[in-house]
Amino acid sequence: MTTALRVEGLTKRFAGMIANDDVNFDLLPGEIHCLFGENGAGKSTLSSCIFGFYRPDRGQIFVSGEPVHVGSPIDAIRHGIGMVHQHFVLVPEFTVLENIIVGTQRSGIGLKAADARKKLSRICESYGIVVDLDAYVWQLPVGRQQWVEILKALYLDARILILDEPTAVLTPGESRILFNIIGEMCARGLSIILITHKLAEVMQSNRVTVLRKGRVVATLKTSETSPDELVRLMVGRDVSFSVAKPALAPGEEVLAVEGLTARGHWGETVLNNISFSVARHEILGIAGVAGNGQKELFEVLCGVRKPDAGAIRLRGEDVAGLTPRALMDRGVGHIPDDRFREGLVPEFSIAENLVLGWQRSPKYRTGLMMDRRAIADLARDMIAQYQIAARDETVAAGKLSGGNAQKVIIAREFLHASGLILANQPTRGLDVGVIEYVQRQLLKKRGEGFAIVLASEELSDLFSLADRIAVMFKGEIMGIVDPRTTTIAEVGVLMAGGREGGRS
Amino acid sequence: MIQFERRTETSGVWTTISFAVASLAGLAATAVLLASTGADVLQVFGALVKGAVGSPKALATTLVKATPLILTGLATVVAFRAQIWSIGQEGQVFAGAMGGYLGAQLLAGLPALLFFPGVLAFGIAGGMAVAWLSALLRNRFGVNEIISTVMLNYLAVYLLSWLLQGGPWGETGGTISYHQSPMLPDAAFLPALMGSSRLHAGVLLPFLAAAICALVMARTPLGFEIRGLGYNPEALRHKGVNIGRTVTLIMLSSGALAALAGAIELFGVTHRLRADNLIGLGYAGIIVGMIGGLSAWGTVLAGLFFGALASGAVYMRVLGDVPAALVPAIQGITLFLFLCAGVLARYRIVRVVVQ
Repeated sequence: MTTALRVEGLTKRFAGMIANDDVNFDLLPGEIHCLFGENGAGKSTLSSCIFGFYRPDRGQIFVSGEPVHVGSPIDAIRHGIGMVHQHFVLVPEFTVLENIIVGTQRSGIGLKAADARKKLSRICESYGIVVDLDAYVWQLPVGRQQWVEILKALYLDARILILDEPTAVLTPGESRILFNIIGEMCARGLSIILITHKLAEVMQSNRVTVLRKGRVVATLKTSETSPDELVRLMVGRDVSFSVAKPALAPGEEVLAVEGLTARGHWGETVLNNISFSVARHEILGIAGVAGNGQKELFEVLCGVRKPDAGAIRLRGEDVAGLTPRALMDRGVGHIPDDRFREGLVPEFSIAENLVLGWQRSPKYRTGLMMDRRAIADLARDMIAQYQIAARDETVAAGKLSGGNAQKVIIAREFLHASGLILANQPTRGLDVGVIEYVQRQLLKKRGEGFAIVLASEELSDLFSLADRIAVMFKGEIMGIVDPRTTTIAEVGVLMAGGREGGRS
Repeated sequence: MIQFERRTETSGVWTTISFAVASLAGLAATAVLLASTGADVLQVFGALVKGAVGSPKALATTLVKATPLILTGLATVVAFRAQIWSIGQEGQVFAGAMGGYLGAQLLAGLPALLFFPGVLAFGIAGGMAVAWLSALLRNRFGVNEIISTVMLNYLAVYLLSWLLQGGPWGETGGTISYHQSPMLPDAAFLPALMGSSRLHAGVLLPFLAAAICALVMARTPLGFEIRGLGYNPEALRHKGVNIGRTVTLIMLSSGALAALAGAIELFGVTHRLRADNLIGLGYAGIIVGMIGGLSAWGTVLAGLFFGALASGAVYMRVLGDVPAALVPAIQGITLFLFLCAGVLARYRIVRVVVQ
């Protein structure tokens, strides 16, 4: 059988760093082939080379057995290769139809909307994609927006589709539907390259290629391997998946939120009547699909967003509306979800980032000047203690990998916080090894008597760490459940807006 | 195929080469410009150098000319490092001179040890007042500081114009207005250094200011916040820094430095309030600060360089045939090429083998 796509000896270097080293990869017609690996293993580089974003330094790409030159995404599309990005590139004010035909028009000035509509209806029908072509994109839920991206690729006659972390923003239900569509496409002879972190999705593929440090470690039939083996191949060592969570009785209440409501820039309600509490030795998990108010909740709790109504009590004191400074001084630590934008100054060194927010503290000053020696000593301590992979404390934080950057934030917040830690998506985009590390650190703080609010899109995170899980949907808490007596599927229903059914 | 690739680490050698090439290219471009006017290039360059550094008197002139440029350059550094794009140095120079003049009226008769700090403080206060308006507009109403500072520049320039012509400070000889104030009394002249009548004590202040700026930027919590604000204000806001207050502080510092330039011009050079000596000092300071790489000592060097050009130009003009616009042209060419060099320094040239 000829391969749909074959890559031979592909090598790509960036400024002396090797991102893909002699990679061989092939994709059969009608196959789902998964690219699996840690961040920085070279998955994105490989797919970007295939789609023409990067030009490989060496190597050859074959489509249907023929050697091809893919110098740009336009070339890729010409060869029937399509790509759906993690972050969609749609114009919210355009309709689905407009989004698909604008910019994908091959010739002529007129939009030929009628022809396009006919073709798209046919595509939708054959793959079981249900989407209103005249709906505005802003009206669509995130899952449907992704279908629009897929439609766009199919409209361009893609035979090979690259899906980059397609379920990152989907509910479990939406993911299931996506995989049905993928299955339908494969049945019709399309080939799928699936890039993912999630083992459950890897296991739905036909074959899987594991990448580590830019090299192909193995290409396996999925039916002949196991999640344990894949993780071992990916990380290069054994990883214990479940961190042990000791049973601890919650202590006195640290944070109590009552009827918290906040409005957005346009007056829309972003947080609606939120109430919960967290006690010492307790982790409250916040589940929910991205964009359902988690970010706004954390912004209010850490003081960068003002609430419109409701009370936030920290050890009994009403702190609603206080500044970030005042909350930090009261012992609140915050691990934001956008670490390079909100958590770090990328141009600052590790040492400077470790005292960010505490630069005026007498601990780090001698007279009017900052105490460079004390800060450097502290930074060296933290680098050792948190196993931050960096040459020394003067390295700019922006040069660190996501995992090491996150360790800098965690080190800083754990060092300065006392009592309450707010962690929003602390494991997002991190390697398995680092995720395990972050989880253990959070449990350690729980053991020390901290109260922790932890939001994560990875339900596995919450189920292994949280003492209780609050599920958010459209700015509301749909229910607070006990992970010991609740299934992931039940939480999934709440995440999609279903009410807690008959349980108390 | 030759390609440019972004560097992950900047290289000192490569940066030096980039700027050396830029300087040479600037020299070459200037030579072409001179030749096109029909002047003898070597003779003009010779005159330029001689007028800049050829004698103690030339050196004194260079220092005096560099003084306001370094100060407005530092004003630029303080603001631009925080990515606050204040273009208000021009107006703040004027405000500094006006504040200083007002101070001289009020404090006349005080002993020199009180008088000079007093009048300079008046000048600084003038610049800070203008800068404070921009900061207020930005913090309170979200008005972009580029717009507000440019508008306030006009306000300051025309306020001086009114004060001198028809206003209370103008010098009138019968019915003629000279567009300048009467001469200040001798006691209000900044004392001369080393017996030279030209070299006033104010030339020391830019170096002091640069030292303080460098120290504040590199070593103090405020400098940490200024740099951080320039790189990532969002992270600073999350980590408890009061952005509005920091912006105000930065604008006030920037305004103070620019105003000091205006006040020193008044008490050290012109000894009377007039616009023509002040015009362009603020805008030139932006160029000086940029060429200085937004570092305090770099700005001192760039200011000295431009001071030398200005001083040399005076001498050069004696030769005749050389258009007076040459010096601003050289400034423009240098800025352009140095900005190019700054970009070039961040890239490396690589050969790519394409199969």
